[in-house]
This record gives sequence, C-alpha cells and structure tokens, in this order.
Amino acid sequence: MSPLGPLLLAALLFSIGVYGVIARRNAVLVLMSVELMLNAVNINLVAFQNLLFPAELAVSGQMFALFIIGVAAAEVGVGLAIVFNLFRNRATVNVDDVDLMRW
Amino acid sequence: MTAHDLVFVIVGLVTAVSAILVVTSRHLMHAALYLALTLTGIGGVFLVLGAGFIALVQVVVYVGAVAVLFLFGLMLTRAPIGREALDSQNRGLGLAVAGALFVLLAALIIPAFGGESTAEVTGPTIEAIGIAIFADWVLPFEVLSMLLLAALIGAILLARREAGESGTEAEVTRIEMGEALADEPDRHEAVGTSAPAGELGAGGGR
Amino acid sequence: MGTVLEYAWLVPVLPLVSAALIAVFGKRLPWHGSEIGIAAVGLAMLLSIAIAWQTFVTSPVEPLELAYDWAPLGGGTVLELGMLVDGLTAMMFLLVTVVSLMVHIYSREYMHGEVRFTYFYAMLSFFTFSMLLLVIANNLVQAILGWELVGLSSYLLIGFYWEDKSNQDAGNKAFLTTKFGDVGLIVGAIVLAAGMLELGSTTPFNLLELNQAAADGQLGQGTIVLGILLIFLGCMSKSGQFPLHVWLPDAMAGPTPVSALIHAATMVTAGVFLLARLFPVLAQSQTAMAVVAIVGVITLFFGGLLALVQDDIKKVLAYSTVSQLGYMIAALGVGGYTASIFHLFTHGFFKALLFLGSGSLIHAVHSNNMSDMGGLRKAMPHTFWTFVIGSLALAGFPLTAGFFSKDEILIAGDIWAGAGFATGNLVYWVGLAAAFVTSFYMARAVFLIFFGETRSHHAPHESGRWMLAPLMVLAVLSIVSGYIFSPFWTAEQNFETWTATPIIDEEATFPFADHGAEAAGSAVQGEGVLAAAPTLAAEGGELTILHGAPTWHPDLLLIVLAVFGLAVVLAWRSYGHGLPERDPTLHMGGLSTALVNKYWLDDIGYRYIVVPVRDRWSAWATWTSNVLIDGAVGGVGRATKALAVATYDVDQRVIDGGVNGVAFSAAWWSERLRRLQSGDVQRYAGALVAGVVVLVLAVALAR
Repeated sequence: MSPLGPLLLAALLFSIGVYGVIARRNAVLVLMSVELMLNAVNINLVAFQNLLFPAELAVSGQMFALFIIGVAAAEVGVGLAIVFNLFRNRATVNVDDVDLMRW
Repeated sequence: MTAHDLVFVIVGLVTAVSAILVVTSRHLMHAALYLALTLTGIGGVFLVLGAGFIALVQVVVYVGAVAVLFLFGLMLTRAPIGREALDSQNRGLGLAVAGALFVLLAALIIPAFGGESTAEVTGPTIEAIGIAIFADWVLPFEVLSMLLLAALIGAILLARREAGESGTEAEVTRIEMGEALADEPDRHEAVGTSAPAGELGAGGGR
Repeated sequence: MGTVLEYAWLVPVLPLVSAALIAVFGKRLPWHGSEIGIAAVGLAMLLSIAIAWQTFVTSPVEPLELAYDWAPLGGGTVLELGMLVDGLTAMMFLLVTVVSLMVHIYSREYMHGEVRFTYFYAMLSFFTFSMLLLVIANNLVQAILGWELVGLSSYLLIGFYWEDKSNQDAGNKAFLTTKFGDVGLIVGAIVLAAGMLELGSTTPFNLLELNQAAADGQLGQGTIVLGILLIFLGCMSKSGQFPLHVWLPDAMAGPTPVSALIHAATMVTAGVFLLARLFPVLAQSQTAMAVVAIVGVITLFFGGLLALVQDDIKKVLAYSTVSQLGYMIAALGVGGYTASIFHLFTHGFFKALLFLGSGSLIHAVHSNNMSDMGGLRKAMPHTFWTFVIGSLALAGFPLTAGFFSKDEILIAGDIWAGAGFATGNLVYWVGLAAAFVTSFYMARAVFLIFFGETRSHHAPHESGRWMLAPLMVLAVLSIVSGYIFSPFWTAEQNFETWTATPIIDEEATFPFADHGAEAAGSAVQGEGVLAAAPTLAAEGGELTILHGAPTWHPDLLLIVLAVFGLAVVLAWRSYGHGLPERDPTLHMGGLSTALVNKYWLDDIGYRYIVVPVRDRWSAWATWTSNVLIDGAVGGVGRATKALAVATYDVDQRVIDGGVNGVAFSAAWWSERLRRLQSGDVQRYAGALVAGVVVLVLAVALAR
C-alpha cells in the first residue's frame, strides 16, 4: 500500500480544518476544526510509522499519535471551559464579536 | 489496486466528505454529528493502516468522549439550533488560504512519496505498543497524565460559576433543551425561582 | 601561577549577586542596600587588584582562557561561555571596579534621601556586572550580551528621574542611537564568524582564534574590512563618535554618579575596548584603520569645540568625554594600541574624578550651571583641589596621568606619519590643536566655578566624608596611574608589557605597510617624540612596531607646556575675575528673554573675549611687542569660539533633526499600520497560515 493515499487525505483534512478555523463564527465550531487538524496529523504519524518504518522498536509514530489524542482531550476540556466563561460574560460565542484587543 | 486500497478509498471518501460537511453545515448539531462521523472514519483509516490500538483509542476517546463533549458544549452555550449564518466574513480568506495550503501540500507530497509502496501493511502488535509505553515512553506518559489532571482542574475552575452568581445560566440551558423542558414542569418551577418562569417556559416551547 | 586568574569569573559574578540581593532585601537593611553594593564591589576590586598584580609582575602573560560549551550552533560548531583573562582584561577589571567602588561609596551621600535609593544601587551593581561580563568575554556573542546589558542599565539610569519627560526622552535617545550602532555590531560579528567558519573553526566567535587567524593573514581582506567596519559602527554609537555622539550630552540627565561611572569612565569606553580587543583584525586593513583614524580625529576636534560654549558643567564634561574618546579611537586608527588603552585607563580615573567633583558642586549650589557658581574655592577647598588635579590631568599638564597617556597618542600619530601614512600627521596636529582647546575649556570651567564672586543663591558648603573620600582617591590615581608607562618607570614590566597579548605585542604587523621599512625607521627616530621612544624595525620583510620604554623629549615637552600656558592665560583673561555682571540695560531695555537666550553663546564670545581684548589693546598700547601677540591670541579665541558655535548649531539642527525625523516617520507609519490590528483573531490565523504557505513555498522553490 502506498503512503500517498493517507498523506493526501491528511493534507485534505488539515486544509479543511484551517478553513474551519478561519471561516466559522461559532467558537465551538472553531474548536471542532482544530480537532480536525489534530487528527490529520495523527493520520500522517500512523501512516509514516506503519508504512515506512514498521520495524522501529520504540513505535514512535503511534506513540506520538496517542499522546496527541491525550493532549487534544485536555485541549478540548480547557477550550470549552473558556468558551463557557466567554458565554457567561459576553452572552455570545461568536469569535468575531470578541475584538477588544484592537486599535 | 488491492482490496486493501479499495477499503481505504471508501473509508477515506466518507471521512473527507463528512469533514467538509463539518465546516460547511448550517446546522450546529449536524456539524457536531458529522464531526463524530469524521472521527469514526479516521478510526477506520487507522484500522486500514494496521494500527488497531490507535483506532480503538480514537473511537473511545474521540467519538465516545470528545464528540459528546462538543455536543454538550453546543447545548450549554445556547448555540442556536437551526439554519443561520454560522460563517464569519472571513470565508473568502479561509477558502483561499486553505485551498492554497492543500495545493501546496499535495504538490509536495505527490512527488515525494508517489513511488513508494509497501507490499503489505504490518503495524506493531498491541503487546509491542504496551512495552513501548511502559519502557521507552513511561516518563512522557506520566507527564501526560499530569497534564490531563491539570487540564481537568483548570477546566473546572474556568467553567465554575462564581459563588454569588444566580442560577440564570441553568435556566438558559434549559431553554436550549426545548422540548425536554416542557416535559418537566416540576423541575423547572423548583429551580427557576430567580427568573420569570413563565416567560422562559414560553420561550423554550417556541 | 594562574591560581588567582582562574577565579576571575568571580569578579563579574559578585556585582550580579549584589544586584539581586539589593533588589530583594535592600529596602529592609539599615543602609537600604548600599552596604551590599559597596561590599560586593569592594571584594570584586580586591580580586581585580590581585589579578592585575599577577598579570603585571609576570607580564607579558599568556592569556588564560577557560570556557565551556554553552550551546551547539549546528554543523559541529559551538557557542562558548567563558572567560579570557589577559593584561587587557585585568586592566579593564581594575578600572571598572575601582571607579565603580568609588561611585558606590560616593552615591551613599549624594543619593541620600532619594525615593528610589535601593533601586539605584541595584542598577549600579547590575551595570557593573554587565560591564565586567563584556570585559571578561572570550567570544563575540558573550561580549555583545554584556554590551547590550550595559546599554540597558545605561538606559534605565539615564531615565532615573523618569517623572520628567525630558529625562525619558534622553534615555530613549541614548537607547535608540546606540541601538542603531548595535545592528552594525551584530552583523559585523556574524561576518567575522562566517569568515572563521570557512577556516574550519568549531568556535567561530572565539576572540583569540579570530585574532590569531587575522594576524596570520588567513582571513580574507573583504571579510576583515566589512566585519571590522560594521563592528566599528557599534563602537561609534557606544563610544560617542561623531556623528553618533548626540546621545552622550543628553545622557547627562541621569544622576551625576551615573554620569561618572557609565557615561565617562566605563561604558562609553566599551567601544574602544572592543576595538582594542580586535586590534589584530583591525591592523590587517589600511582602509579600516584610515576610517577609524579619521572618525576619531573628527570627533576629538569637534567634540572639544562643543565643550567651549556650554554653561552646564556636566555638558562641558560630556563633550570633553566625546573628545577624549575621539583621541582613543584615533590612536587605534594609527596603530597606537597601547597608547589608546593607556589613555582609556587614565581617562577613566580623571574623568570620573571630574564628574564626581561636579556632582559635589551641584550638590552644594543646586544648579548645573557654571553661571550660578563662582568663587567656590574657599567654601569647598577639597572639591577645589581635586577638581583642579582632574582638570590638569585632562588638559595634559606635565607629570599628571593625562600627560603621559595623551602624549603617547600624539607619538603614535607621529610614528604613523613617519611610516608614510597621512592619517598619522592628521592625528598628531589635530590632536595637538585639540589639546589647546581642552586646556582652554577646562581652564574656563575652573575659573568660572572656583574664582571670582559667588553667584550662587545658596550658601555653598563642602560635601561630607562619603563624597570627599572617593574624590581624593581618584585624585591620587589621576596622577599616579600615568607613571606605570612613563620615563620614571624603569622596571622591565610596564603598562605596555602588561596589556600586550602575544598576538599584539611582537607580531602586531601591518601587512599593508611593507614599503621602505629601514627608511621609515630612521625617519621616526629623528622625529620629535614626547615621552616615549617606540622604534620601528623591519622583521622578515614586514613592518613591525616595537615600543620601548618611554624617554624624555624636552623639545616637545616645551610645545605642550606652551600650548597649555597659552590656553590658561587666555582663559584667565576672560574668566579669571569671575563672570562679569551683564549689562543692566540688556535686561531692562525691552529685549525678550528668548532673544537673550538665543544669542547668549555669542554674547559670551563677544563680551568676555573680544571686549577685554579690545579694551586692553589701548591700555597696553605702549607695550608694542605685546600688541601683535595679543591680537593673534584674541583672533584665535574668537575664531575658535565662532567655529564652536557653528558646530554646536550643526549638531543641534542637522543631527538632532535627523534623529527626530526618524521618530516622526515612525509615528506616521504606525498610525497607518495599526489598522492591521483589527482584533479579529480569525484574520490573524489566516495571515499566519498564509505566511506558512509562503515560507514553505519559498523553501520548496529554493531547493
């Protein structure tokens, strides 16, 4: 099996994630798009590990994927907590309504 | 094209299409559900790639927990349900940048990996992964657990209601639940003492 | 041997520890932290004395280099963190710690009762650490680190009284002007390091290796010229060379002890020090040396002229510092390595003395202006005699430290001229002319401050022991520090062997000067030499300068005395009887204050030089032989003054205007560019990814 397929899929998912982060208004949707980008990276890591370096003893690629899943879980938790806080204080979760840090 | 490749193409197509729907859907709940589908699809991709353990973790953590957490978040933040403009004015910018990024990545990946191909996919066994985690990676693993604990406490601290705050948020939550609220008038009355219950109930039922 | 030298790293560490301790505990201590600073710097000074002694008696010493790898730079090269101890380091250690200790002690009384007393001491200690870090550095990156830290301390201390807008502006001006040169310094360091990399060095920033490679002629001529001139740009800004000197007079907004320590004795000499460190590199290029010499000459002359028209005593001293730094730089440009750092050494003591003395005066009369002083000789006897000693040393009066060091520079110029380089003549003659100017403005300052009637509204009083003790110590040093390189010093070891490094001493070759060595040597022997007798010798076809012990040369001693005497007599005639009261009609006649202020400088020039000369013309008419001399003297004075005023105008309008213009255009652009900050994080994210795409594309296309 060629690594081309998984890598292209990962590139596509990553680009979709980038689009979502830039174009979506709702903060929760933005967080979802970030998850898409993280998962795209995971596909890359697993594909490199299993297709190009299957004999590596430390299983680095899959380990990184695991750690990313763990860190992503933490990120979603904190991210959503921040969104809740934002919602409580501003009664909105639209990222383009939150522009206090401007000239 | 082997059967293996065929399975990958099918799973990949499902994943890609549902991912596109995540960022284009005009319905928040649908977006979250498509996200769950995308994550499941990625789990499938892991399976095709021979990474059974990662696929398992993917389904358990992402589909089981993270996607549900997102649904929960949508409901708690009074996210409007139904069709409406969920996109900001940056759609054009996003499309241009993401498109350029994809074209660039594809242009770099295809010549770099086009020729390579392995006859059969053999990932490490779960036993090998277990040994790797608790031998080579035990310190990062423990650090990760500390990170999760810290994130847990941090999330609670951030989302916690201040001591003096009233229960308005709880009311608001129930508005989002719409139909379910109407089924539980007792609970509504019991909790919603600080807010005009009738109005809220009417709003929720609409 | 070497046991003391191995502990040299303690010298910069002690002030750093002291700065931290003062910052944390200072406010709770009975002396508000000053005791920590004095103790730590005192210990550092004792250690420096031990190091200086060790290096002096065994000189010339092999440099001791201790370093450990700080960070890998990739490609097998490493960045070191280390120390390089040789005579030059030991000399700077001695100078910095002694002056710093004196300033620490002095500030106890001078800064007493200040709100930020503890902060002041912490910053003073921190500056001392930074300067010593720069001095001890064994590689260029570490030197730049110390260089930037002294810039930071200087900035913070100039703006010490930050409540006043003008003081903030002065700090910003100093920081921005020096930062302009720092860019050159950093790029120059990288250029030289790149040259070293090509030679296969694993520690490309190492100073010793760099010097050795340059002396061996391994570095390309282009690399040397580009690298050393860019570094010289940094030295120009830090050491106040024309036209980047504009920050130095403004920097006098800081407290006077700061002016003494940072803006006279130590920090401003950092540029000279760095250039001296890299002297073997500099000596490889005739172009670079010519540029350095010319910049130095311009600075030493025009800087001195500016000092003539100042009323603020600190500004007089500031411009004189600019001028003396010009001497040092010019000396390096004509091959006078020893002369340059010898002047650096002695100048550090007597300029610190003068600044601390002026601080004592300001303390007494509550004004910086000499027009508010006058007649202080009786009220402040100790300040008076120490200030006079400092002035004599600065003016180069025979047998003071400044005499031996400044004349050494003139000799260096003379030798260089003898070797056939025009810049040598330039340094010699302009240096002599500037010596006249120096004598004149210092005499003017002394007469205006200490003679005539008291013009102060306060009752002047002598300062206390804490302020006088440093003055006296520095006064003694202002005299004796010159003797280690004078005809009186007959020991085999002298200042030259002390500060010589093996690369610089016997092998300070100037590869571009390989013509007619024998002829040049004889010419130099015949030329007049003041206090030293360096000889030129041909070795292996290359011209090598070997200095010997200094000797007396009465003919030029007389010239120097005549120049000094002329200047003092001229100043006495104008200012000796105090500041004559101004014409009362000038104030009552309806002239606006603005007009008076605007022409005030011309007024001095006219009233106190031209009018006395013209009036006495008739009184002395019978002395026909004196008439011509008198007229010539008056003409010289008037022309000098006019030139000085013109230079001051150029300095204020053109150069300051340029600096301000930069600031205004920055404001104009920021007004437009700030709209980019829309507050829309998604737009930022888009820009971020777009930037990544462009970068990746650039890298991919470059392959």
